[in-house]
Amino acid sequence: MAELALNIQSVVKRFAQHVAVRELSLQVPQGAVYGLLGPNGAGKTTTIRMILNIIMPDEGSIRVLGRPNTESKLLDRVGYLPEERGLYKKMQVRRLLRFLAELKGIGPREADRRIGPWLERLTLKTADKDWGLSKVDELSRGMQQKVQFIACLLHDPDVVILDEPFSGLDPINAQALKDTVIELKRRGKTILFSTHLMESAERMCDSVCIIARGEKVLDGSVAAVKSEHGIRHVAIAVSNHATDGVRALLDDTRMVKSVDDQNRFFEVELADGANPQELLRRVVALGVPIERFELIQPSLHQIFLDRVGAKGVEAGVTGHG
Amino acid sequence: MAKLWAVAKREYLERVRSKWFVIATVLGPVLMAMMIVVPLWLAVRSATSAKASNIVILDATQSNLGDAVARSLGSGAQGDTSLARVQQVTPSELAQAESTVTREVIAKRLEGYLVLDSASVSGSKARYAGRNASTIPDMEKIERTVERAVLVTRLREAGLDAERVQELSRVNLNLQTERISDRGRGGSGAGSIAVAFGASFVLYMLIVLYGQTILRGVIDEKNNRVAEVVVASVKPESLLAGKVLGVGCVALTQLAVWIASMVLIVKYRAPILARLGAPNAPVPVPDVGFSAAVTLLAFFVLGFVLYAALFAAIGAMVSNEQDAQQAATPVTILIVMSAVFIQPVMLNPTSTMNKVISWIPFSAPILMPVRTSIIPVPWYEIVLVMLGLIVACVVCVWLAARIYRVGILMYGKRPSLVELARWIKYAR
Repeated sequence: MAELALNIQSVVKRFAQHVAVRELSLQVPQGAVYGLLGPNGAGKTTTIRMILNIIMPDEGSIRVLGRPNTESKLLDRVGYLPEERGLYKKMQVRRLLRFLAELKGIGPREADRRIGPWLERLTLKTADKDWGLSKVDELSRGMQQKVQFIACLLHDPDVVILDEPFSGLDPINAQALKDTVIELKRRGKTILFSTHLMESAERMCDSVCIIARGEKVLDGSVAAVKSEHGIRHVAIAVSNHATDGVRALLDDTRMVKSVDDQNRFFEVELADGANPQELLRRVVALGVPIERFELIQPSLHQIFLDRVGAKGVEAGVTGHG
Repeated sequence: MAKLWAVAKREYLERVRSKWFVIATVLGPVLMAMMIVVPLWLAVRSATSAKASNIVILDATQSNLGDAVARSLGSGAQGDTSLARVQQVTPSELAQAESTVTREVIAKRLEGYLVLDSASVSGSKARYAGRNASTIPDMEKIERTVERAVLVTRLREAGLDAERVQELSRVNLNLQTERISDRGRGGSGAGSIAVAFGASFVLYMLIVLYGQTILRGVIDEKNNRVAEVVVASVKPESLLAGKVLGVGCVALTQLAVWIASMVLIVKYRAPILARLGAPNAPVPVPDVGFSAAVTLLAFFVLGFVLYAALFAAIGAMVSNEQDAQQAATPVTILIVMSAVFIQPVMLNPTSTMNKVISWIPFSAPILMPVRTSIIPVPWYEIVLVMLGLIVACVVCVWLAARIYRVGILMYGKRPSLVELARWIKYAR
């Protein structure tokens, strides 16, 4: 078995008033795209900070690329994009990038060689304007995020850790970020990112770990997580004027555990022991035009709500807390 | 170590490149030049005003006293060729003549007029009215000239040869002053005081200025959230050390530029003064020996490290500049108190109290240089004080590093003393 990119064993971190992370263990294989999912305040950022040795766990151990993360120079092989973007506002972009590369052990000349292509790739350097020569505070927020992203990847790290990378990105930049993550994976890099956006996690991640209140709720490959969760979900759509009848039908708690009204369709979680075929018969019996009746794999979003909601962390969100 | 170096390099280059550094560095020597040149220039200016000789002498003495005064008044200073004009009047015409010349003074054709009468001949009284009546050097010159003219006239009347009288009465005394201090007399006394005061004041200024720079830098990194990016690559201790090193080097650079330009100004003051139309004058040049310079430098470096560490810790504790000013008050009081004692220590460097104050690590960086440049301080005393300072530095840097490493990732409320103690105890 290839050595793990990240191996976190029974990590505990307490702060003065509360326990931020308790008994968290997770393993990220090399070359994986790994999603750390959880609601706000679940301990995602604390976990990431511990991986980066910014704060130390009170208990447990963290190994990066097979070695304890306290080892000097080991973190030179890790790239980090913090949730709150942090750049020296008064510094020229190129000088800033050179400095941040130097902190990761890249000499200034080598850094310069790499900065140019990156600036061009993220359109910070075009034929008529080189933003690399501007000061950071002359850049728009979106451009500053690009700079931060370059800083995270300039030293060509083997492990890339992105804390909420999609927050505040417009669709174009979000797409560019997604493309870059896929490209990094193709080159054999390991990517761990935290997010509360289940859709992006579902599309991109090989494996996920859902945490809530500092504890692991579940983890594993996305496929395994889904099949483990079982097909308990049905999507039903009927033509617009007939939705009231369907709604009445779905009130039957013997058949239906919960309903997620998606406006265009209902995502239905079946009650334990309920047969989807029986539900189909009842909908047909309504005599309305059926546009869709589909047995679906639960989305990560649904699993997240089920499991996290079941633990009562976000009581009320799912309707059965 | 390479990373510490990278942090220091960034701090240094970014600050040296900034507009403020350039302005302050250039302005320093300009101010110093003014401190040297302006007093000399003023001294020349205040000798006599340029038109001191553009006056009318109303001579009611019925003698040639007026002519004698006019002759020895000579021409005015600095290329003014106007000579005092003598107008012989009878005592009865005097009032009329005075009102005529008064009008001329009002019309700015004359600077003023001098009235000589029988009382002047007897050497008791003369009158002057004019625009420059309150210019002390002008009045002193006129008074001296009249006195001398009266004296010359009397000597001549007593039968002395005119030429001989002129020759004998030409006295131009220049009173040279010298100060006697605790240390005894000596020309270098003034120089030592200048060095003591200048050095301690510059050290104080640099420590305050660059201590604040560090304070603001730390808060800035916190608020910009850069701290998190940086400590993901560098240990917080290295970030702190690099910061202190980098900013310290900026201060030393500034100091070096200032000292170099001061040396140049003193050396080339003659052409500068000539440009301003002032004659050269000696400037008390203190001779600072090599060992004294090294001592001074050592005190500066240690003092800077001590205060920089404290300011960095304060910066890590707070989240905004308003809080920072408040939280920094204890540190500011320490350094300001040291500055307050500069003068007492300078005036009385041997008193027990002043000695003890100069031994305290927080005031030693500023007050020990004062004492060592005024009186000979035994070497073992300097070494002991420096050791004490080093110990204080180690303790403060250690405390600051622990506060810093917890603080730079903390936002919001300022910690209470209890919380602070917990930070120090459980750093990381």
